[in-house]
Amino acid sequence: MNRRRAWQRVLVLAAALAACLAPASHGESPVPAAHVLSHLESSCLDCHDADTAEGKLAIPALGTDLSDASVREKFVLMHDRVAKKQMPPDADDLPDDKRAALLSALSAFVEQADRADVLANGRVPLRRLNRHEYEQTLRDILLLPNLDIGDRLPEDRTRDGFNKSAEGLDFSRIQLEAALDAADAALRAAIADGVAPQPPDTFTAISKNLFAGEAYGEPHSRFFAKESQKVDKPEADDADVECAIFRSAYWPYHGYPRGFVAKRSGVYRVRFKARAVHQMENLTLVPAPQPVPMTFRARAPSGPDVSGDVQAVGGLFDIAPEGGEYETTVLLKKGQTIEYSLLGLAVPLARNVNGGGPTYRFPPLPPGGHPGIAFKSLEITGPLQPDAWPPASHRVLFDDLPFRAAPAGASPAVEVIASDPEADARRLFRRFAASALVRPLPEGDAAAYEELIVTAIRGGTGFTQAMLAGYRAIVCSPEFLYLEDPRSPDSPGGPADLVPLAQRLSYFLWDTRPDNGLLAKATSGDLGRPEVLRAEVDRLVGDPRFARFITNFTNYWLDLRNLRRDEPDIRLYPEYRFDDYLVESMGMETRAFVTAMVRENMPASAIVDTDFVFANDRLARHYRLEPLSGYAVRKVPVPPGSSLGGLLTQAAVQKVTANGTNTSPVLRGAWVMTRLLGQPPPKPPESVPAVEPDIRGAKTIRDLLALHTKDTSCASCHKLFDPVGFALESFDICGGWRERYRGLEEGEQVTGIDRAGHDFSYRLSHPVDPRGSLPDGRTFSDIRSLKALLADSSRQLARNLLHQFTAYATGAPVRFSDRPDIEAILDACAADGYRVRDLLQGFVASGIFRGLGGEHP
Amino acid sequence: MTHHENRASGYRTHDKRGLSRRMFLRGAGAAVALPMLEALLPARAAQAALDAPPQRAILISNNLGVLPKPFFPTGTGSEYQLSPYLETVAAHRSDFTVISGLSHPNVRGGHSTENCFLTAARNPTASGFRNTISLDQFAAERIGHLTRFPSLNLGVNIDKGNRSLAWTRDGVLIPAEDKPSRLYEKMFVGGSPAEVAAQLERLKERGSILDVLDDDARRLSRRISAADRRRLEQYFTSIRELEERLQEAGAWEQRPKPSAPAAAPDDVTDRAYFFKGFEAMLTMARLAIESDSTRIVTLMVDAFATPAFKLDDTETTTDGYHNLSHHGQSAEKVRQLEEADRRQMELLGGLFTALGERREGGRRLLDSTIVLYGSNMGDANTHDNTNLPILLAGGGFRHGSHLAFKHDDNAPLCNLFVSVLNRLGIEADAFGSSAGSLKGLDT
Repeated sequence: MNRRRAWQRVLVLAAALAACLAPASHGESPVPAAHVLSHLESSCLDCHDADTAEGKLAIPALGTDLSDASVREKFVLMHDRVAKKQMPPDADDLPDDKRAALLSALSAFVEQADRADVLANGRVPLRRLNRHEYEQTLRDILLLPNLDIGDRLPEDRTRDGFNKSAEGLDFSRIQLEAALDAADAALRAAIADGVAPQPPDTFTAISKNLFAGEAYGEPHSRFFAKESQKVDKPEADDADVECAIFRSAYWPYHGYPRGFVAKRSGVYRVRFKARAVHQMENLTLVPAPQPVPMTFRARAPSGPDVSGDVQAVGGLFDIAPEGGEYETTVLLKKGQTIEYSLLGLAVPLARNVNGGGPTYRFPPLPPGGHPGIAFKSLEITGPLQPDAWPPASHRVLFDDLPFRAAPAGASPAVEVIASDPEADARRLFRRFAASALVRPLPEGDAAAYEELIVTAIRGGTGFTQAMLAGYRAIVCSPEFLYLEDPRSPDSPGGPADLVPLAQRLSYFLWDTRPDNGLLAKATSGDLGRPEVLRAEVDRLVGDPRFARFITNFTNYWLDLRNLRRDEPDIRLYPEYRFDDYLVESMGMETRAFVTAMVRENMPASAIVDTDFVFANDRLARHYRLEPLSGYAVRKVPVPPGSSLGGLLTQAAVQKVTANGTNTSPVLRGAWVMTRLLGQPPPKPPESVPAVEPDIRGAKTIRDLLALHTKDTSCASCHKLFDPVGFALESFDICGGWRERYRGLEEGEQVTGIDRAGHDFSYRLSHPVDPRGSLPDGRTFSDIRSLKALLADSSRQLARNLLHQFTAYATGAPVRFSDRPDIEAILDACAADGYRVRDLLQGFVASGIFRGLGGEHP
Repeated sequence: MTHHENRASGYRTHDKRGLSRRMFLRGAGAAVALPMLEALLPARAAQAALDAPPQRAILISNNLGVLPKPFFPTGTGSEYQLSPYLETVAAHRSDFTVISGLSHPNVRGGHSTENCFLTAARNPTASGFRNTISLDQFAAERIGHLTRFPSLNLGVNIDKGNRSLAWTRDGVLIPAEDKPSRLYEKMFVGGSPAEVAAQLERLKERGSILDVLDDDARRLSRRISAADRRRLEQYFTSIRELEERLQEAGAWEQRPKPSAPAAAPDDVTDRAYFFKGFEAMLTMARLAIESDSTRIVTLMVDAFATPAFKLDDTETTTDGYHNLSHHGQSAEKVRQLEEADRRQMELLGGLFTALGERREGGRRLLDSTIVLYGSNMGDANTHDNTNLPILLAGGGFRHGSHLAFKHDDNAPLCNLFVSVLNRLGIEADAFGSSAGSLKGLDT
C-alpha cells in the first residue's frame, strides 16, 4: 500500500477517535490524535512506516487507540527514546525545538489516555496479600506473635522488582488449598492447649552436662576446664568446671547440652553464666581482650548430621571477658534442643588423608590465642505460659465461654461449651470478623458465614469445630486476601472511603493490617487531612514494626535476600571460608543504614556517599577501620580519603552483585544503574555470550571486556553501565578492598592455613584498574572520584527511590500519568537536598499513593 | 481454564456438568450406606484405555550412595563401556541412562544432605535452614488427585523421625512408611465405615467453606471494577478446581479398593536382612504403580541407619553400613561395599524386569514409569556431595547412553527433576535450583 495513503487513513481515523476521547481529568481540553500524528509523521515516519518498520516499529499500524495498554506502552517507549535522544539515531536529525514540540505533543497525548484508563479501571487492580503479609496479619489478629505458617503458602512471584506486585501475585487452586490449610493451623494454634496451663519444665546443666556430642577437632575446638586449665574427667557435680568452646557452628558439629529436649513447642527462657576467653598454649584459658559474640541455634539433637530446621534463636549476645549471667528467650519446636553458636570463630577441617576415613584439623594457635567462650552453667525453663488462662489468642476466638478437655488425642485439645450455641456462634463470629476485616461484612455476607456455622452445629458438628470452619472461611475470603486500590472509583465506600488508604499505608510500612489507631482515623475521615496523614507516617516509621519494611524492602530492592546465595570460592578467598558472621554483619549494616536514611531524613545522595558507615567488630576488620568490639552495628566516621560510605560501597552490595568466585563490572555496573540510579540498561542481545572472567589470572576482566565491546554497537550500550562497574572492581566478592586480582595459576603465590584449618594457595595477579569515564565524558580515576561525580545526581537518586516506593507500596510501577506527581514531589524536596523521609512523606501524600491517579489533595 | 492443568498433564478429567457440588455432598452423607457413586466416578477407567497410559515415577535414594569407581562408566554417549556395577543390569542397557556430573549446588554438609535429595534446599547445616518442597510433593500437588494416594513415601531401615525424601512446602518431614504390610493394607484393604464417614465429613466441611467463599466472591464481584473482576477471576477458578479435587477425593473414599494381586507380605523386622527389606519395598512400589494406587513413589534406603547386615546366608558385614562407607581404602571394607552395591543393583534390575513384563495399553509398564535411582552422596567415604551417582530408567526417555556433565563444575540435579516433571505431564520450567531441563535427555 502506498505509504502516504495509509498514513492519511490513520490521520482521519485518529481525528474521529480524538473527538470521542474522554475529557482529561485536569479539565484541560483533550489532545487531538491528529496533532500528535502530524509531529510523528515529520520526524519518525521515514524509518517507522509500514514498509520500513525499523526496529519492528511501524507507527501507522499501531493506530492511536491508547485505551489499549499495549499501544500505550509503545507510545511511552517512543516518548522516552526521543526524550533520551536515543531516537532518531543521529540526534542532529531532530533539532531541539522540533524535539521539544514532538515530546510535548506525545506527552500530553499519552498522559491524557493513561489518566483516562486510571479513571476507568483504577490505577492498580485488586492485590492479593503475599505470604509474609498473610502470616503477619494472622499473627496480629490472633495475637500469636510467633505464629509460623508463611512457608505453607507457595513462594510469591517477583515482579517489578518486588513480591508486592498486583499483577505478580496470582492465585491458584494450590494457593487456595494452602491458604485453607495455613488458616486451619493458625486457628488451632490460637486455642488453649489444655483446660489449665501446664507448668513449665526446668532443665539445668553444669560441668560435663553442659556439652553433649562433639565439636570435632577437640580438644583445641572445645574442652572442659577448671581454674582455666583443661581437665580430662570433670566431676558431674563440680560447679567450678567450665565448658570452653572455640569454634563456630558448622557441619560437623553437635554442640548442645546433655539431656535437654523440648517436650512441647513454645517459648523457653535460657539463663547461662559464661565469660569470653582466649585459649593459649597447653589448653589454658586467659580472659579475652574483647567480648565474643554468640547466639543459640534451635535444632533437633540429631548428631553431626542436621535433620530439619536450624534457626538462630534468642538474638545475639556479646559475652564479656569478665563474665556474667545472661538471659534470653528462645522459640523451640517439640523435639528441638539449643546449640551453642559462637560467631566468627575458627572451624575444624574435616579431611580424608589419602582417601582414608575422616579426620579433623583445628587451625593452629594464632598469636594471642583462639577466642572462645567458657560456659559455667545453663538453665532452660519452658514452655513459658501466659499470665492469664486461656491465652489471649483463645479469647480472640471464644471470648470467655467456658471449656472442657476434649477426648485424649483430639485437636484442638479443648471443647468450648456454648449454652446457646447458635446465638453464641453469631455473636462470636461477628466479633471475630470485625477484628479480622478492616470493615464490617455486608449483612448478606455475614449471614452466609453464620449459616455455614449454624448448619454445621445442627448437623452434629461440635461447636468448637463449627466455629473454626467459619473463622477459617473468613480468613480465606476475598475481602481478607485482597487489597483494593484506595479511592478507586468503584470502591464500595465511595471515593471518600479512607479505609483502603489506611490499609495501603499499613501494608507499606508494617506489612500488616492497620492497627486500631490508624483504622479509627480512616473511618472518622481524619486521615484525609494532610497533617494527620503525615503524623501517621511518622508514627509508623518510628515504631519497631517499621523493621518489617526495612527487611522486606531491602530484600528486594537491594537483593539482600540473596546475601547467602553464593558461597565464597575458598580456592581464591580462603579468608571468607565459613564466615557466616561476616555475611550476617553485612546484612545488619545495610539494614541499619537504610533505616537511618529514612528515620534520620538523610539526603538521597547517601545512596552514593556518606562520611560514616555502620560497623561492628567484624565489619571494622573487614573495612580496615579502627577496631570495634561487640556485634551491634553503630555509626562510625570513615577515615579521611577512604572509599567507604554510602550504600554503593557496602559489602552487602558487593556480595550480591558478585557470584562468589569473581566479580564482573558488567553485572555490577548494570545492577547499580538499575537499582541505585534507576537507569536500567537496555536488555542484552540474546545471541551474545556472557564474558567469563579468567580465574587462572592470565587475563584481566578489562582485557576480556575490551574484546567483547570492540563492536561499536556493543560499546554504545556498555558505556552506559560498565564504568561504574570498573570503579567497583576495587572491591572483591565480599566487598573487601583489593588492589590486585587473585588467580590460581599466574602471579605471586600466597599460601597459609585458613580459619577452617585448610591449606590454601592462591596467586596475586594483575592490578585492578578502576579508571573510567561516564557517558557524558567526565572521567574518574577510582571509586572516590566516581562517587563525587555521582553525588551530583541527587535528583535522579531521589527519583529512583520514589519509583521503588511506588512499585513496592502500590503494587504497580510508576506509570506515565504518575510522572508529573513524581516530579512535583521532587520539586518540593529539592531545596532541602532530597531527603529520604521528606520523599516518603511526599510520596504518601501524592495521588499515586492515595489513589485516583494524579489527583492532588 | 479449569482444564488447563489437566490438558497440560495429558489427562482429561471427567466433566461435572449436571452434577453440582451440592448434589454430590448431599449424596455423600448417604453414600456410606449406599456405596454407589458410579455416576460421579471419574470416567477415568474407560478413558485410560483410550488415552496413552499415565506417566508414573519411582524415586529412590540410598543415603550412603555407591562406590563411585565401580559405578561410573568410561566413555560417554551410547558407545560407553558398562562399569562393573552396570554390568549387573546389562540386560536393561537400552532401558536406562547413567548420568555423571550432577549435584545440588550449595547442598553440602555430609549426611545432612540426605533430606535434600529431592528438595535441593541449600545449606542444610546453616542457621536459618528450612527444607523446601520435595519433587514428589510438588508433582503430587498437580497430579496427585488422579489416584487414591497423591503419593506414597517408602523407606527401608529408615529412621522415620529424622529422615525422609518427602517434605512439605513449609519444610515438614513426611514420615516414610517402612512396613510392607501397612502399605498393603492401605492399598488393598478397605477402610472401616467409620473411617470413611469421618473422611467424608472433612471433605464436606471443606466443600461448605468453598460454597460460602464462592457466594461471597460473587457478591464482591458485583461491587468492583472490571479490572478488579479480572483479577478475582483467578479466585473463582481456584474454588472451582478445588471443588473438583474434593469430588475426586470423595469418590476415592467410596470407591472399592483394587483387589490384591498377591498375599499380604511379611514385614522384614530385622534390619540385618537389608536386601530382603529393600526387595520388599521395591515390590510394594511396583504394586502401587501397577494398581494405579498412586503415580508417585519415593523410597529412601536408609543405609546410614543400617547395622551390620547379611551379605548372604553365611556372611555378615564386619561393620554397620555407615562405618563400612568410611572404608578408608581398606580392601576388606571395599569388598563388602562392592558386594552390597552390586546386590542393590541386581534388585533394581529385578524391578526393571518386572515393570518390563507388565503391559498397559499395549505398552510395557516400564515405558510409562520413570525409575530414578541416586544418592545425596557422591563419595560417602569423604563426605563428598558432588558428582552424585544417578541412574534413570524407563519412563519413555530415550535411553542407552552415558550423559556426562563436568566433573569439576556439576550441572544441577534439578535440571533432571524438571525433565521428570515434564515427563509426568507437568508444565514446570523450574524446580529448586534448576537452570532448565537436562540437556541431552530426550524422549
